[in-house]
Amino acid sequence: MQHTGRVMPFQIRGRSFTAIVLELTGAADGEFYAALDEKLKQAPHFFMNAPFVLDLDKATGIARSGDMMGLVRELRSRKLSVIGVQNGTFEQNTAALSAGLAPLQGGREVRVEGENAEVDEAFEEEISGSEEAAAVLVTEPVRSGQRIFADRGDLVVVSSVSSGAELIAQGNIHVYGSLRGRALAGVNGDARARIFCQSLEAELIAIAGLYKTSDDLGPDFERKRVQAYLEDDVLRVELLK
Amino acid sequence: MARIIVVTSGKGGVGKTTSTAAIGAGLAMSGKKTVVIDFDVGLRNLDMILGCERRVVFDFINVIHGEAKLHQALVKDKRLENLAVLPTSQTRDKDALTRDGVEKVLDQLRDEYDYIVCDSPAGIERGAHMAMYYADDAVVVSNPEVSSVRDSDRILGLLSSKTRRAERGEEPVKAQLLLARYDPARVEKGEMLKVDDVLEILAIPLLGVIPESQSVLKASNLGMPVVLDESSNAGKAYLDAVKRLMGEQIEHRVLAPERRSFFQRLLGRTA
Repeated sequence: MQHTGRVMPFQIRGRSFTAIVLELTGAADGEFYAALDEKLKQAPHFFMNAPFVLDLDKATGIARSGDMMGLVRELRSRKLSVIGVQNGTFEQNTAALSAGLAPLQGGREVRVEGENAEVDEAFEEEISGSEEAAAVLVTEPVRSGQRIFADRGDLVVVSSVSSGAELIAQGNIHVYGSLRGRALAGVNGDARARIFCQSLEAELIAIAGLYKTSDDLGPDFERKRVQAYLEDDVLRVELLK
Repeated sequence: MARIIVVTSGKGGVGKTTSTAAIGAGLAMSGKKTVVIDFDVGLRNLDMILGCERRVVFDFINVIHGEAKLHQALVKDKRLENLAVLPTSQTRDKDALTRDGVEKVLDQLRDEYDYIVCDSPAGIERGAHMAMYYADDAVVVSNPEVSSVRDSDRILGLLSSKTRRAERGEEPVKAQLLLARYDPARVEKGEMLKVDDVLEILAIPLLGVIPESQSVLKASNLGMPVVLDESSNAGKAYLDAVKRLMGEQIEHRVLAPERRSFFQRLLGRTA
C-alpha cells in the first residue's frame, strides 16, 4: 500500500465506560415495571440518561425481537438509555441486535454511587454535567417521514435511509446502506463531525449547520462511497478509497 | 381465527380498492371465508367495484355506532359464496371511525372468517390509521413511479410504528409489495421504474406485479373482480399474488414487453 502521508480522518481506540446493569429476575411483565417505577421514584434524576446494560441471565422470555423492542421502548420512555445486553441466550442476543442493542461480554463490578434515596448533590451535578457519549444504532430501514435523533453521539444506520427521512446526530453519521434522505451531523456545532455513507444519493447533508443539497453535490459523488467533513468552514465531500 | 390484511398505499389512485376486491375474491375462490371492509368513509367505492352497491342497506359506521347488527350490514357476494362485503358510509367522514368500534367489529368477524381484508383510504390520517391499526399483514400497493414509491415507504414507516402489533412490541406487521399498473414496454423505454428499483428502495418482499391492463378498468366498471376474468393477465397475476399471500411459493412470471405482430404494427394499434 502506498503511503500518502495524509492524516487519517479518524482514530480507533478502545475505551471503557461505566454502565449501570439492570438484572432481570423473571419476565418483563407488569410487576417488573411497577417495581422499576417504584425504584425510579426514589431517585428520579440518578438514572436519567445513564447508560444501561440489561443482564438477561435470570430473565425469562424476551427472546423475540418484538419483546425486546417493547422492553427497550418501555425503558426508554422512562428516560433509561439502554445500550446493550449481557448473559443472554442466542435468541435473546439476536433479538437485542435487532432492537439496536449490543450483546456485551465481561464487565467488572464497581460501586454504584448515590444509588440510595439521598442522592449526593455533587454527584448528581457531575452526572448531568458530563456529556457521556451514547451512539444510536439503527438496523431497520429508515423510512420516508421518519426522523432519528442521536442527541448524545454518533448515529449508525446499518440499512438504507429513504428519501424524505431525516438523520440528526450530535456526532458522526454512518450509513451502511444507501443514503437517500437527509443527514445532519454535528448539530450542536461540532465541526469535527463527519458523515460516512456507502452510496450517496442524499437530498441534503449538513455538518454543524453548513449544508449541501443534492444539486450542490453534483453527479461526481452520486451513488459513491463518500465521507463529508468540514475544512475551514467549507463542507467537503470526498470518495472513500 | 382470521388473519387481518390491510391493503394500503399512502398515495391515492394506485389501485388499492381494485386490489382489495381482487384479493378478497381470490381468497374466496380458494375456498377461504373472506370479508372485505371498506375503510374509505365518505368515498364509498369497494361495494361498486364488487358490484353489490344496489344491495347495501346498513354499513360499517352503522355497526360501529350500534345502529345496526353486523349481519345486517354484511353483503354476501352473489358469485362467490365465501365472499362478504362490509360497505362503508358515503355520508359520514373518517371521524366516525373509532378505535374501539373498529376493534369490536373485527373481533366479531375474526371467529367466523379466515381472512379480513381492510381497504384503506389514501393518506396517512385517521382512516388509513384505523385500517392498518389491527392488521397482521399488509399489502402495500405501489405504482412504478417515484411519488407512489415514496408514499409507500412512508406507509411502511407507519406500519412499523403505529399499529397495535408495534405498540405492543409483538411480531411486526408483515408487509409485502404489490406493484400495480406495471407496463413492461414503458419500463424498457425508461419511463417507469423497474421492479428491482422499487424493491431496492422499499426493501420488502414482493407479493406480485400486476401488469397494466384494459381488463382492470373494464372489470371495475362491470362491478366484477378482475380475478373472475380468466382471460386477463392482471387477473392471473392477482391470483398468483393471492396464493403467495396464503403462503404458497409461486414463481414470479417473467414480465417482458408484449411484442406486436407485423399486422398490428401495420395497423398501428395494440391488441
